[in-house]
Amino acid sequence: MSPERQVTEYIVHQFQPGVTADELDADYDLLANGIIDSLGLLRLVDWLDRTFDIAVGEADLAPSDFRTVGTICKFIKERSR
Amino acid sequence: MPIEWTEEQQRWRRDIGRWCDQWNAGRELRERNGTFGVPDWDLVRRSNVLRMPFDAAWGGLGLDLLTTMFVLEGLGTGCHDTGLLFSAVTHVVSTGIPLQRFGSAELRQTHLKKVCEGSVIGAHAITEPTGGSDATNMRTTAVRENDSYVLNGQKSFITNGPVADLFVVYARTDTGPGPFGLSAFLVERDTPGFTVGPALPKMGLLSSPLCELELRDCRVPAANLIGRPGTGFLIIDHVMTWEILCSFIVTVGRMQQRLDRCIAHARERVQFGQPIASFQSISHRIVEMKIGLENSRRWLYETAYRFGRHHRVTEELAIAKLIASESNLASALAAVQIFGGRGYLTESGVEGELRDAVAGTIYSGTSEIQRERIARMLGL
Repeated sequence: MSPERQVTEYIVHQFQPGVTADELDADYDLLANGIIDSLGLLRLVDWLDRTFDIAVGEADLAPSDFRTVGTICKFIKERSR
Repeated sequence: MPIEWTEEQQRWRRDIGRWCDQWNAGRELRERNGTFGVPDWDLVRRSNVLRMPFDAAWGGLGLDLLTTMFVLEGLGTGCHDTGLLFSAVTHVVSTGIPLQRFGSAELRQTHLKKVCEGSVIGAHAITEPTGGSDATNMRTTAVRENDSYVLNGQKSFITNGPVADLFVVYARTDTGPGPFGLSAFLVERDTPGFTVGPALPKMGLLSSPLCELELRDCRVPAANLIGRPGTGFLIIDHVMTWEILCSFIVTVGRMQQRLDRCIAHARERVQFGQPIASFQSISHRIVEMKIGLENSRRWLYETAYRFGRHHRVTEELAIAKLIASESNLASALAAVQIFGGRGYLTESGVEGELRDAVAGTIYSGTSEIQRERIARMLGL
């Protein structure tokens, strides 16, 4: 399964019950639309850490990295070890 | 994951731990005054405890998190003034840690050396009168105006506030939704529009003063922004990780000291012709204290080990905090019971431990919030 599909399925499963992975656009703004709140962000970052083996330091994080499925996938690609 | 501490780590623990007797000497006066004085802080400074986790470039000792915690655990065992230790840890984690990790070269150059040597006292301002654990909904605002930010709002429960020189203040820079609306600012005490309230009487941690703050059109240079705009929540998360690991490993030291004291008392105290240790109602209570202590110690060090390897520890940290704070409260209550009438007297020091322990279930995120965090991490 591609990282984009993994991320999409994780987000709809964890944060958008009732929505299917096919219904979530890669450029849908998850922060501005309130899909991911503060604890949700921590969960997402923890999941990325464990799923993709990315050591994520807080200093490296920026709002733009988590705005959409697309930016999250870009973040994974850049940080994968 | 058993840790075998090296000779060097043990030497740091001995070297800094030898100051405990001098710190203990002034405890009663500090607790009566509800704060610590300049001579007390000078003793803390001279011990080098404030320098531990900082780079040598700033006058730090360059110790890693695990070593820092190992030394702090030793201080928790040897120093009976939990409030003074709490203030020292707060100083280190509230200002030094975010400055070193996220601060600009200019901010570090100007302030970090002073934090390391303790020539200024640090504090941070997260909680507000309208919300404590709900930090991301804080109301204090910071509005950019040319080369400044103008801060307005109120902050409460500021440990070290009455005596602090340097504050890291968290404020909302974005009124929109989402967790990226907060930013962190370094604010000096004498900044116009920044008012420090009087020390507030409280239940425990009596040597550690606490107050409220008011920011009214408080203008700070834009260069005082710590990290990037909008990353305040992530800085809080990082700082809270350090705060929980460092302050609760001190708690583990206190639990060890209390356990040793209860064992000695139970062996010596004779009732009905035999030491009270021979009664299962006492010995089993002490066993529970031991289990809580070891559980807390393991969770804290294992979480720190993982955090030190740059992994996320949201769930582990919440579990560690819950276990350590609630085990400490249970242990302190058990100690009062084991000491009986003497434990109820202030002079025994046992009842003071209980008052201190209550605070641990509240600061750095209440037990309720930690359970909520774990529930959310489980997807509930």
